[in-house]
Amino acid sequence: MSTSAAAPLLEVRDLGKRFGGLTALAGVSFSVSAGETIGVMGANGAGKTTLFSLIAGNARPSTGSIALDGQRIDGLSPDKICRLGVARTFQIVKPFPGLTVLENLRTAAMFGRVALTDRGRADRHAMAVLDEIGMTELAAAPAFTLTLAAQKRLEVARAIATGARIVLLDEVMAGLTGTEVAQMLETLRRIRDSRGLTLVVIEHVMQALMKLCTRIVVLHHGERIAEGTPEAIGRDQRVLSVYFGAATT
Amino acid sequence: MNNLWGDRAWLAAVTIGVIAMSALPFVANDYLVGTGLTLLMWLALTQSWCVLSKMTGYVSLGHVVFYGLGAYLMVVTWQQLPFVLVILAAGVLAALFAALVGLPVLRVRGPYFVILTFGLAELVKFSIMAAESASGTASRILFGTPDLVVVYFSMFALALLATGLLTWVSRSRFGHGLRSLRENEEAAETLGVPVVRFKLIAFVLSAAIPGMVGAVMALRSTYFVVGQVFDPMISVTVIAMALLGGGDDARGPILGTLFLFIVSEVLWVRAPLAYMLILGAVLAGFVLLAPGGILGIVDSARARRARPA
Repeated sequence: MSTSAAAPLLEVRDLGKRFGGLTALAGVSFSVSAGETIGVMGANGAGKTTLFSLIAGNARPSTGSIALDGQRIDGLSPDKICRLGVARTFQIVKPFPGLTVLENLRTAAMFGRVALTDRGRADRHAMAVLDEIGMTELAAAPAFTLTLAAQKRLEVARAIATGARIVLLDEVMAGLTGTEVAQMLETLRRIRDSRGLTLVVIEHVMQALMKLCTRIVVLHHGERIAEGTPEAIGRDQRVLSVYFGAATT
Repeated sequence: MNNLWGDRAWLAAVTIGVIAMSALPFVANDYLVGTGLTLLMWLALTQSWCVLSKMTGYVSLGHVVFYGLGAYLMVVTWQQLPFVLVILAAGVLAALFAALVGLPVLRVRGPYFVILTFGLAELVKFSIMAAESASGTASRILFGTPDLVVVYFSMFALALLATGLLTWVSRSRFGHGLRSLRENEEAAETLGVPVVRFKLIAFVLSAAIPGMVGAVMALRSTYFVVGQVFDPMISVTVIAMALLGGGDDARGPILGTLFLFIVSEVLWVRAPLAYMLILGAVLAGFVLLAPGGILGIVDSARARRARPA
């Protein structure tokens, strides 16, 4: 009996977060197996970004637990969680504006799970990621000079350069044009497959979510209201009512 | 971003500087040696300030507190312990003080950090003033201090140490972590940089050198008044030198310290009345027209020259 095959890579159990009197997240549970791509859907304020902040350690949960490979990670600092193999991007991009694109990735390569303390090796690793994501020609550009689309790609590249096993992508396609969304989708699929990544994706671009994900979790007012395959979610009455106000009863 | 330290011109200039400063006590009179000592003091203070404040963006307005503590340790232990030991102990004392206050102090950012460090330095100043006056001491005089040349070379060693420290930090993985957290602390932490530990280490490293510098300067002045060794103008001057120099490696403080030191000396002699006015205008001019400091001007000139090739 192999237990490792059964144990999920990421397991979130009964997770809750209160900010004073406001409940951002309440009793959310789900699990992610290695190699899966999970979508997280929900209207603004549904608790999606809070969920990411709790998993990545940027905020502490009020209740519940988070386990990576069976090991509890809730309560650890973000840098420790990153070194264990969880990376996230930020919905509102947070580049290192004064550093070049390569230097942005160098941080991830030096301090992330790959921990390439030697600068030359870190830079080679970073260049390989930039090549894969199609940003090689921007390597020497200061991050503050990039367009929004490029800054979104930089967020993704930096998260991947940490050598993470599981990457949390927070609306990396929001604000992009149709062509840019298609490119990003293509890039994500390619990198996921070549690096064997597990992805958890928050996205408002529904088409993208449907194309990318094997399973979708739907949050509403901080609670999980549905979970299933993209097709099942597309037919779910509760989801439709929350999203489009369709009559249920 | 090309590494100018690798440049032959820089290496040559620094080598000449080191040789000239080593020869100074053997060829110059006491006045000039004293002037050289002051220059080395500012260099050591500015380099060490940059280890925290340039690298992390946490601008400290309280650098003088470590200097004052070092000076005070030298004064109260004078003729009871060998002075070389006390210089080292002053570095340890300053580092311990930084480690003690570092965790709470480094939790606040931006203008709050600036004000907090200033307030902390003033708090320590007035505490020691109170302790001194309670014991009935208004000021102290040190007798039998070592020869000026000994003091000079002690400071020289500290200036080299501080320059070496910032050179190492700015090129190391540790320094890259500090730069990352300066640019965006939350992103740095999320990418694996242990920001709390790194900030504290930078603060402690940055504090040890001014502690030792203060101890050495107590030997130089031989006359000790609390208000003088905790003078906030020392912190302000260090910041001015660092900003004038620009950059975040050891070249900036060398340029900035030399520039401000020479300008002050010349003005002091030539225009004692307009001294502060002109100095103020020079500083304001830099902040408005060349926020990147002298290094920023040099680097952009080089970049312009390099492009049309």
